[in-house]
Amino acid sequence: MNCYSVHNFEASFIRLIDKVTNGSRIEINQTGTTLYYQPGLLHGGSLEHDCSPSRSIGYYLESLLCLAPFMKHPLKIVLRGVTNDQVDPSVDVLKATALPLLKKFGIDGESLEIKINRRGMPPKGGGEILFACPVRKVLQPIQFTDPGKIKRIRGTAYSVRVSPQMANRMVESARSILNKFLPDIYIYTDHMKGVSSGKLANIAGESCGPRSHQQILQGGCVDSTNQSLALLLMTLGQRDVSKVLLGPLSPYTIEFLRHLRSFFQTMFKIETKTPEEEHMGGEKVLMTCVGIGFSNLSKTIR
Amino acid sequence: MEEKEKKKHRAKHSGPKAEKKRKRYLNDLGIGDEENARKRNPKAFTVQSAVRMARTFHRTQDLKTKKHHIPVVDRTPLEPPPVVVVVVGPPKVGKSTLIKCLIKNFTRQKLVEIRGPVTIVSGKKRRLTIIECGCDINTMIDLAKVADLVLMLIDASFGFEMETFEFLNICQVHGFPKIMGVLTHLDTFKNNKQLKKTKKKLKHRFWTEVYPGAKLFYLSGMVHGEYQKQEVHNLGRFISVMKFRPLTWQTSHPYVLADRMEELTNPEDVRINPKCDRKISLYGYLRGAHLKNKSQIHMPGVGDFTVSGVSFLPDPCALPEQQKKRSLNEKEKLVYAPLSGVGGIVYDKDAVYIDLGGSHAHEKEEEEVRPNHELVQSLISTHSAIDVKMASSKVSLFMDSRPLGSEDVGQEFVMPREERRIDLMTGRVRRKALFEEEEKENDDAGSDEEDDDEEEAAAMSEDGSDGDDEDDDAEEESDRELLREEMAVRRAKRLKTEVAKEEAVNELPAFADSDDDLEMSSEGEGKTAPEENEMEQDDDEEEENEDDQRTHEDESSGSELEAASKRVAEPKQYEINSEDTEMRSQISEHSLKRKAVLTTDSGNCTAEEASESEAENSSLDESDDEEGSHDESEAAESNRKGCQHTPKKADSIRQTKLQALEAVDDDVENLLREEDEYEEKIDFSADTTGALKWKEDLKQKAAQAFLRQQHSTPNLRKLIYGTAVEDEDRENEDASDELGGLFRVSRPDKASKQNANALDCSKFLIEKPQDWDLEEVMSSIRDCFVTGKWEDDKDAAKLLEEDEELYGDFEDLETGVVHKGKHAAEGDESGSEEEEEDGKMSKPEPEEEEKKKERMDKKRKLKEMFDAEYDEGDATYFDDLKEEMHKQAQLNRAEFEDQDDETRVQYEGFRPGMYVRIEIENVPCEFVLNFDPHYPIILGGLGNSEGNVGYVQLRLKKHRWYKKILKTRDPLILSLGWRRFQTIPMFYIEDHNGRHRLLKYTPQHMHCGATFWGPITPQGTGFLAVQSVSGTTPDFRIAATGVVLDLDKSITIVKKLKLTGFPFKIFKNTSFIKGMFNSQLEVAKFEGAAIRTVSGIRGQIKKALRTPVGAFRATFEDKLLMSDIVFVRTWYPVSIPTFYNPVTSLLKPAGEKDSWSGMKTTGQLRHERGIKLKQNKDSLYKPIVREKRHFNKLHIPKALQKALPFKNKPKNLEKKGKTPKDQWRPAVIREPHEKKISALLSALSTVNNYKIKKAKIKHREQLKEYLKVKQKEDEQKFKRQKEAKKKIYRILGQREKKRQKSSLKGSSKGEKST
Repeated sequence: MNCYSVHNFEASFIRLIDKVTNGSRIEINQTGTTLYYQPGLLHGGSLEHDCSPSRSIGYYLESLLCLAPFMKHPLKIVLRGVTNDQVDPSVDVLKATALPLLKKFGIDGESLEIKINRRGMPPKGGGEILFACPVRKVLQPIQFTDPGKIKRIRGTAYSVRVSPQMANRMVESARSILNKFLPDIYIYTDHMKGVSSGKLANIAGESCGPRSHQQILQGGCVDSTNQSLALLLMTLGQRDVSKVLLGPLSPYTIEFLRHLRSFFQTMFKIETKTPEEEHMGGEKVLMTCVGIGFSNLSKTIR
Repeated sequence: MEEKEKKKHRAKHSGPKAEKKRKRYLNDLGIGDEENARKRNPKAFTVQSAVRMARTFHRTQDLKTKKHHIPVVDRTPLEPPPVVVVVVGPPKVGKSTLIKCLIKNFTRQKLVEIRGPVTIVSGKKRRLTIIECGCDINTMIDLAKVADLVLMLIDASFGFEMETFEFLNICQVHGFPKIMGVLTHLDTFKNNKQLKKTKKKLKHRFWTEVYPGAKLFYLSGMVHGEYQKQEVHNLGRFISVMKFRPLTWQTSHPYVLADRMEELTNPEDVRINPKCDRKISLYGYLRGAHLKNKSQIHMPGVGDFTVSGVSFLPDPCALPEQQKKRSLNEKEKLVYAPLSGVGGIVYDKDAVYIDLGGSHAHEKEEEEVRPNHELVQSLISTHSAIDVKMASSKVSLFMDSRPLGSEDVGQEFVMPREERRIDLMTGRVRRKALFEEEEKENDDAGSDEEDDDEEEAAAMSEDGSDGDDEDDDAEEESDRELLREEMAVRRAKRLKTEVAKEEAVNELPAFADSDDDLEMSSEGEGKTAPEENEMEQDDDEEEENEDDQRTHEDESSGSELEAASKRVAEPKQYEINSEDTEMRSQISEHSLKRKAVLTTDSGNCTAEEASESEAENSSLDESDDEEGSHDESEAAESNRKGCQHTPKKADSIRQTKLQALEAVDDDVENLLREEDEYEEKIDFSADTTGALKWKEDLKQKAAQAFLRQQHSTPNLRKLIYGTAVEDEDRENEDASDELGGLFRVSRPDKASKQNANALDCSKFLIEKPQDWDLEEVMSSIRDCFVTGKWEDDKDAAKLLEEDEELYGDFEDLETGVVHKGKHAAEGDESGSEEEEEDGKMSKPEPEEEEKKKERMDKKRKLKEMFDAEYDEGDATYFDDLKEEMHKQAQLNRAEFEDQDDETRVQYEGFRPGMYVRIEIENVPCEFVLNFDPHYPIILGGLGNSEGNVGYVQLRLKKHRWYKKILKTRDPLILSLGWRRFQTIPMFYIEDHNGRHRLLKYTPQHMHCGATFWGPITPQGTGFLAVQSVSGTTPDFRIAATGVVLDLDKSITIVKKLKLTGFPFKIFKNTSFIKGMFNSQLEVAKFEGAAIRTVSGIRGQIKKALRTPVGAFRATFEDKLLMSDIVFVRTWYPVSIPTFYNPVTSLLKPAGEKDSWSGMKTTGQLRHERGIKLKQNKDSLYKPIVREKRHFNKLHIPKALQKALPFKNKPKNLEKKGKTPKDQWRPAVIREPHEKKISALLSALSTVNNYKIKKAKIKHREQLKEYLKVKQKEDEQKFKRQKEAKKKIYRILGQREKKRQKSSLKGSSKGEKST
C-alpha cells in the first residue's frame, strides 16, 4: 500500500460513516487512490463499530461529535479500539471538553454521554467506549467570550496492566506542578485491568503539568482540540450571530476554516485580543460568524 | 307661576359624582368600599369552592398563554426591502385600475401600462412593490409565496369566485400573509338595502376564510375610469401602516422578486447556436434571509441554478434620508418599474426602448419627473454592454481613497499570473517562502537566478537600444552575483530566527481591517510597527543584503518597477553611466505610479506614507494606471523574448537598465528618500509575498505565528482566507495551464500535497513548549486562576466594598453585633478632613462634584437593583425567552453595523433590503426568447441540501372541495417550497403497528400519508397539489394540501400480497399444500409463517416437500377439506417511481404560459385515445343466483342419545300414517224411501233457508227505514227543543236585564220584589 492510498484507519472511518448514514454511496478503486463518496442522510440509531487500532477512538469520535446532533435517530454507538494514545485527543479529553461545549449549543440532556467501558492502549487496543448523543432540530447561537477563572482542577490518571502504584505516582508528580497555582486539585486514579496490553510510564505525569499550562496560556473559552467543533456548530446554527473566544488557532482549525468557507460560504470575523485586554494567558482570538440557518433535515416530525 | 315652572333638583344616580357621594355616605356609615367590606366581612369573600377556583385559574392561564406566539429572533434588517403587495382577483375585477390608482396616489404619476412589479416609495420608512396576479394558477402559487400583503379584489356584483378561494387556500398552505379584501363594482347596486345586505354577506364569508374581523375595503363607484380619490387614499393609508408577521419560509430563505432581466450571453454563441444556454442577470430587492454567493437558487417555472455572481447596486428607489418632517416631498416620491416603462423607458430582455412621444411631451415629462428621470438616466448608462459598464464604473472602497476603475481590477486579475509562475519543465512553483534554512538557501539561490532572468527579460523590451553597455557591465554583474550568493548563505545562518519571523509577517500582512480587494496594491506596504522597529535595529549591511535579496525574489511587473526605483534608494554601489532622457521619463512615471498605488490603500497607510501620497500629484494617477497595464503586457512579452537571449547578455542589459534607473530616480526621489527609506525596505520584504503564498507550509507558519504571538497582531483573516481575488487568480492560472486549449495540466501545488500527506489530527502540538519553571512564564497565566488577580468589576474585595457602601450599616440579628457602615463613618471623617483641606486648598468644586457623582452612582445602583428585583418577580419563562431573542436580535444588528458593505457581505452574505444583481448561467434559451414581463420571476434561495432529491413523506388530505378522489400512481403537480413540480405520489396509511400500508385512493375526509420522489424540503413545510396547471375549469383546482413529515433516502411502503395454495393430501390436522410457491427455496423462506384457509382454519407452514416443486407440509388447527383454499398473507415493498418533473411554465411561448402540461394520468390517456379498459370477467357484476341449500339430517349417535336428558332427547314420535283399511268406517247405503225422505228434507231445508234469508233482508231494510224516520223525527224534535230553549233563555235574559235595571234604580226595591 503506498502512501497515497486509503489507510487502514481511513477505511475504518469510511465504514463508520457508512454505518451512521443511509443512502450514501462509497466507491474506492482497486488501488485505493480514488474515493467516490455520495453523501446520504444521517441515520443514527444503536450501532457498534470496531475502530482501527492504528488511530485512537478520539479520531473517530471527533467526527461523530460533529455529526451526532443531526441524525434521524439519537445516536448510541459503541466504539472499540484504542482509547488513549499519543497522537489523537484521548477519549477522556473529549469527554471533559467536547461534551460541555455541545451543551452550550443546546445539545444536552441525560442521553449525552461518553462512557469508557474499557481502556485500550496501542498497539492492540481493546478499549471500548459508549457514545450517546440526542438529536436536535436547530442549534442555539452562542456568545461564549468569557472564559472565566479556573476554580478547580480535576483529572484522571489511568494505568493499564501495571502496578496501581504507578498511577498514584503520576498523580503526585502532576500535583506538585499544578499546586503552584491552585490548591483545589483532585486527580482520580483509574486503574483498569485492561484487556489488551500497552506500555505506559510515569513520564506522563510530569509532562501533563506543562501541557495544561500551555493550554491555559493558549486557551480561550474552548481548548485547542475543540476549536473546530465549536466553529462548525456555530456555522451550522440559526441565522444569528455567534461569538466565541479562542486561543491561537491551531493549523487544523485554520484548514478547517477554509473548508467551512468552501462548503458553506461562511467567513468568520476574526479579531485578535491581546493579553492586556483580556488580562489572562496568551493572545486570544475572537471569532464571530452568522449561522447559515441549518436545520436537521433528517429528523422526523410527527 | 314661576315657582311652579322651576325644575326640581334630580340627584345623580350614576357617574363619578354619584359614586363619590355614595362612597362618602358609606364611609360615614363606616362600611366603606370593597376593601373595607373585605375587612369587615371576610367570610363573604373567601373561596367558595377550591375546584371552581382552580378551574377559573386554569382558564385565565389558558387564555393568557393562547395569545403567545413562540418568540422568534427579529431578523428584519434596519432598512427593509419594499413590501410586496400582490393584487389578486378574477379577471375584469379592476386589478390594474387599482394598481394605477395606488401608484398615482403615492407618486402622483400615471402609468400607462403595468408590466411586472412596480416599486414605489410610500412613506418615510416604507416602500411598496406592487404586482398584479393573474388567474393562472402558476402565477397565483408563485406570488402567494413572496407576498407580504394581498389585496384580494372581489366583484361585489357577482360575489366570490373560485379564484378567490383558490388563492386563499394557496396562501394558507404557504404561510398566511396579510390579506385585505377589496370589494369593487359596488356602484352596480341600485338598491341601497340590497347593497348593505350583500356587503354584510360577503364580509362574513370573508371572515370565515381569513379571520374574524379581517379588513374588507369598499371601493364604491368609478370616476372617469378611476376609483374615488379619497377611497384610494384611505386604502393607501391602511397599507402604509400595516404590520406584518414574519412567515417561516420567507424569513428562512433569501428570495428576489426580479424587476429587471438582462441577457449577457455572448452574441457570437447565440449566432452559432440560437438555442444555446443563456447567461442572464436579474435585478431586484433581496428579501427574506441573507444570500450568499455561489448558493443554489430555484426559479419557479424555470428550474434550479447556481448563482454565478451576486453584486449589490445602489438602491434605485431609495428611502428618503432621515428628516424630521411629516411627509415626503415630490422628489422623494420615487417610482421604479423598469419593465413598465416609467418615464418612457422600457427595459426588454436585451434592449432599452425610449418612448419619446413627441419632442414637447418629453420636455414636459422631464420637468415633471426629474428625480426619476435622473435615476433612469443613470440606469440607461449602466445598461450598456457589461464590459463597457465595468470600464466606466468606479468603486471607492474607502472614504478617502482613489476610486478603483476597471483598470485596477484588470491589474489585479493579471498580476497574480505573473506572481506565481509555474515552470513548465519541472512543475515547480517558483516563489516560496520557506522556513527551514536549507531549503531557503537552495531556493534563494535558484529563484535569484530565475528572477534575474525575468527582470532582465522585462528590461529587454524597454532598453533594447542599450545593448552597447552590456560588455562593461557583464563583469560587474557576475561579481555581484557571487557576492550576493555568499551573503545569502551567511545571512541565512545569522538571521535564521529573524528571517523566519519576517517571512511569517509577510504572510500575515499588517492590520486586521485591511481589505482583500486592495491587497495587490496594499501588499507593498503591509507591515507592522514592531517589525519596523526590528528592522531599524538591524545594521545597514544586513538591510542591504536583505533588500537585495528581496528585489530579486520579486516577480510581479508592478513590484518589479518598484524594485527599480528601490535601487535608487540604496547606497550607491554602482556607478551612474548613462542618462537616457527617454528612460528618465519612463522611470519617473514608474516611481510615480508606485506612489499612486500607495495612495489607494488608505487602510494600511502610515502617517509617513500618507504625507507622501499627499505630496504626489494626484492628477497623474490615472495615466499611471493605464501605464500599469501597458507595463504588464510589456513584461509578459519580454519574458518570452528573454528566453531566447543568452543569460549573460540578458544580465548585462539588465544591469544597464538598473543603472539608468538609478540615475534617473535619484533626482525624483531625492526629496522623499529620507523618510521613505525604512518603509521602502519593508515594502520589499512584503513584496516577496505572492498572492498565493499563504498556502505553503501552513502548519509551520501557524506554529510560528503562535510562538510569535506577543510581537505583532497578525492578520489572521488573511492567513486563513487568503485574498478575495485568490479564486479568480486560480481560474486565471488554470486557463494559462491549458495546453493547446485541449489538455489541462493539473499540478497540485506543493503545499497542498504536503497537507494531504500530513497526519490528520486536531491536536495542536507545540514543538517548543515554554519553560514553565521560569517565574515570568508562570506569571503569565497566574491570573487565569481564581487565586490570581481579578478584573476590577469582578474583584471580590471591591464588590464587597461596594456592597457595604450600598447597604451601609446593619445589625447581625443572631449575634447582635451592629456593623457600622464604613463609608458613612469614613465619609464623615473624610468630610471633616476635607473641609479642613478645603479651607486650605480652596478647591470645593471638584469635591462637591465628586460627591454628587458618588451619590448619583449610589442612587443608580439602588434603582438598578430594585428594577432587577421587581422585574424578576413576574418574569415568566415566556418573558425570559422573549428577552433572550431580543438580545440576540440586537446583537445581530450591531455586530457588523460599523463595517462597510463590501466587508459585511463577505461575513454575512448579501443582506435583505439590498438591491442586487444576480448572474445566472446555463438558463434555457426559451426563458429569454419567451420572456413575458407579466409573469413574475422569482429567485428563491435554497438552503443546504435543499437542492437534492430524495424520498419525501407527507401528511396529505384531499381537499374537501375537490370533486374527484386521488389515485395512487397518478401524476400530481405539487407546490412545495419554492418549487412547482410534477411527481408520482404513493398514498399510504399507517397501521397500528407502524406499518405503512399502500392505499389505492385517498380517503374521503381523512388524512393519509404520501411519499414521493422529489426535492428535499425541510420538515413542516406546507404544500398543495393540483392535478393540472393548464387551462381553466369551473371546478375547484386545488386537489390536496398537507405538510412534509420526513425525508429519507429509502422508503417502507408495503402492499398486501396473498399467496394461495390448495391441499392435495389431507391427513388429520396435517395437509400437504401445493401451488403456493414455486421452489423449495421459497418455501424455506416462509417456514413457520402463519397460513389460513378461507373458512378460517389457521395453520403454519412446516417444511417443503420434494415433489411437487413448491409444495409443503402444513399443520392446521382442524382437518381441511379438499375444497379449501389456503393462503398466506405477505407484505410486499412498493417501489416509488423516481419521477420528478419541474413545471417549466415560464419557458412556454408567450400567451401559452398557462398551458403547461406534464405527464398524463392513465385515465386521461385512455380517454384521449379511446382505449377501453379490459376488465377481468370475474370482476363484473352479475345477478346472483343462489342454489337452494340442502342440509343433511342431524345425526346423533346412539350413545350420545342415551346420555342426553329426556328433554333434549330426540322425540321419536313417528307421524300418524294412513289408517289401515280395516280400520276404515263402513259406508252407509240408503234405501230409496230413505233417499226420498232425505231429498225432500234437503229441499225443504233449502226453501226454509231461502225464506229465512229473505226475511232477514226485509227486516234489515225495514230497520233502515225505521232508523231514517226516527232520525228525522229526532232532528225535528231537537229543533223544536232548541227553539223552545231559545225562547226560554231569551225570556230569562230579558228578565235578568229588567232585574238589573230595577236593581240599579233602587236596590231595596228590587230586593223586596224578589
